[in-house]
Amino acid sequence: MLSRVAESLFWMSRYFERAENTARFLDVNFNLLLDLNSITPVDHPNYWKPLIMVMADPEHFRSLYQEYDAHSVTDYLVFNRKNSSSILSSISMARENARSIIESISSEMWEQLNNLYHFLQSVSPQQVHSDPYSFYKEIKNASHLFQGITDNTFSHNEGWAFVQIGKYLERADNSARLIDVKYHMLTTSPARHSDLVSGSVDIIQWMAVLKSCSALEAFRKVYLSKIDPDNILSFLILDRSFPRSISFSICAAQEALWRISGSSSHRYANNVDRLIGKMEAEMSYTTVEEILQQGVRPFLEEIEQGLAKIGEQLHLLYFAYHTPKIEPADIAEALPFTGLDGRRANWSQSQQQQQQ
Amino acid sequence: MTRLFDHYNPQSERFFDEVIACDGAQRSHYEIMMQRFNQFSSADIRARRELVNIFFRNQGITFTVYGVDEGIERIFPFDLIPRIIPSSEWAMIERGLIQRITALNEFLADIYHKQQILRDKVVPADLVLGSKHFRREFIGVRPPLGIYIHVTGSDLIRDGEGRYLVLEDNLRTPSGVSYMLQNRIAMKRAFPVLFDRYTVRPVENYPQQLLRTLQEISPSPKPDPKVVVLTPGIYNSAYFEHSFLAQQMGVQLTEGRDLVVNNNKVYTRTTRGLQIVDVIYRRVDDEFIDPLVFRPDSVLGVAGLINAYRKGNVTLANAIGTGVADDKVIYSFVPDIIRYYLNEEPILDNVETWLASNPKHLKHILENLDKLVVKAANESGGYGMLVGPESTPEQRELFAEKIVENPRNYIAQPTISLSRHPSFFNDTELAPCHIDLRPYVLYGKSVSIVPGGLTRVALKRGSLVVNSSQGGGSKDTWVIDNL
Repeated sequence: MLSRVAESLFWMSRYFERAENTARFLDVNFNLLLDLNSITPVDHPNYWKPLIMVMADPEHFRSLYQEYDAHSVTDYLVFNRKNSSSILSSISMARENARSIIESISSEMWEQLNNLYHFLQSVSPQQVHSDPYSFYKEIKNASHLFQGITDNTFSHNEGWAFVQIGKYLERADNSARLIDVKYHMLTTSPARHSDLVSGSVDIIQWMAVLKSCSALEAFRKVYLSKIDPDNILSFLILDRSFPRSISFSICAAQEALWRISGSSSHRYANNVDRLIGKMEAEMSYTTVEEILQQGVRPFLEEIEQGLAKIGEQLHLLYFAYHTPKIEPADIAEALPFTGLDGRRANWSQSQQQQQQ
Repeated sequence: MTRLFDHYNPQSERFFDEVIACDGAQRSHYEIMMQRFNQFSSADIRARRELVNIFFRNQGITFTVYGVDEGIERIFPFDLIPRIIPSSEWAMIERGLIQRITALNEFLADIYHKQQILRDKVVPADLVLGSKHFRREFIGVRPPLGIYIHVTGSDLIRDGEGRYLVLEDNLRTPSGVSYMLQNRIAMKRAFPVLFDRYTVRPVENYPQQLLRTLQEISPSPKPDPKVVVLTPGIYNSAYFEHSFLAQQMGVQLTEGRDLVVNNNKVYTRTTRGLQIVDVIYRRVDDEFIDPLVFRPDSVLGVAGLINAYRKGNVTLANAIGTGVADDKVIYSFVPDIIRYYLNEEPILDNVETWLASNPKHLKHILENLDKLVVKAANESGGYGMLVGPESTPEQRELFAEKIVENPRNYIAQPTISLSRHPSFFNDTELAPCHIDLRPYVLYGKSVSIVPGGLTRVALKRGSLVVNSSQGGGSKDTWVIDNL
């Protein structure tokens, strides 16, 4: 398969997944606010700023908007084409990638992607504000439909594997960010301090997080009604069967990579397989206690960095193998480590944009 | 109920009408078609029109119009009334095209080797060697089987008496064949009954024939030579066609950046490493194909491709430098070229042409600018021309200056009387619209021509320009076995 075609399939899928996840981020935020608005006004920047910190560049945001309020943040993350990760930008990029390989994908896939693009262009910000639930649901459904169409109309060979890799790497990265920002928010939120009744607000909020991952019912089946943060962390990070957990996503990406390279669980064929194998083993043998001991944030950061490295190596191996190989050590050194002030997150995000 | 053809009236002595003879009688090969269409109500027509529109829209059959901001995609207009050519006429066209293409290929082989025709002064040497499309880099390079023009699409028109004339030879990267294939699919869906009543020769195997031709010209004989299509990319006006043909042939569609030359061999960059390429069906013009040899600023090409080609490690279809033979000035010599190489009289005539580079002709051109169509020798797609009878005195003056300044670059032809064909003016009304015909000729071990080709139609009332970039549309074209 042509490297360019493989790369376009990968990015088409990755951008589509990114759009879905951005919709989920925003959706969970609205969900939370509905529960919290009796305590703090919904436009409180504490609720909106973390989204920008994790998903975009705060400086860029501030150059375009005055306040971290619901209206500005939604506009920036949904419609603003100057934000390369906005839902509209992501879907446009997914569509551009699909368009350049239109002879390689099924016409049904193209139609579905094209429909969503035209739908987004027809929606006004007012519509989103008046009914965020329906809008985000529309995006999520469109993404599910696209995945279903892809599975059922596109040959399950190498190209399909690249679609899976794009989807699951993006999903693992986004789930890590979602848990990261919500964990941060819930452990430091003003509501927590003003809430005198033993953490019941916390539980409502954690339920909202689970809902945003479509995980509430699945979670209950595993943990019954024991909704506490540790169980939820364990479920969203380590559960082996839930399709939006980090562990599941990494495992699925690994399977797709093995399909391409022919690696197996006992030996790896290349650097990408080595890195993903290492991460998968880590996920398999870690417990939630160990995560808490290490600290949730450092643990998730490590995952995000590991995923960025895998993305780099994937690019070198399959899309641009003709350029001189860069040693992993060089990449590790090049990673600026500046703590979570948004810059590092942003750096890693920008590397996860398509290479031109 | 009024019937569709009741009101159709060609109303002209000057133009040949494809359906109604000048005595008002129907031409026999159109009878069944007319009867069928006469049975349709305007609602029937609308329903079929809608069916066809949906088909084209879903297939994404669009072309890009340049000059409009950021290039707008439009659906290529399609007319429901098919153009019908009886097999006896077609046999003559086929012979004429084979003769013409064979002679033009001989001409190219000659001017890139011995240049005997120039020594014999049949074609003036300065016109050939001074042509913008003459590639001195290719002198002495022999392409496999000695073939330069593997895929061509000559434009044919019919004069007032119905004689077929060649208007242009497109020997570089002729486009439109995908419309021919899609038009046929659309017609079969909309009018299945008509196909029962006629024996229409099939065009559907064109992609297989194209692939076979391309494999035949592989530089070294192997069981399954690797063929790729090379496109300038998604912003090219014919991108749809490039991806369509690649898909239909089952070969890879590549852009310049997908190919790499190493040690004078061409490879595709794949997820499994480099894979050798034998034949490139390239839809990138000469000037852009290799930045090391032609335009250094080109990002569409492949560095080193030309050396690989000269070494004989890869075949390009069409060969480099074929544009010298479809130059509008060289065009006027094609009848002489046919006589020179084949010792035969041309079966298909040229349109009468005056060369501005010839002083006698130049005088005639300047005196008759209001009656002639003047064309720049190297432009295509209907750009850079003056249609005398429709021009203003100022435009003519401006053009006269340009011609005198650079006579090599201009030719003039009488305002051509393209034949006319009933076409839908709206859902209920037919009007006589001007048409031409572009048959597609493949040249591998032998010459083969798809029966029919693309009929382009000027859907703007009275317009003579059929190019898609200038508001033209197309028709399905049937070659039928005689009734």
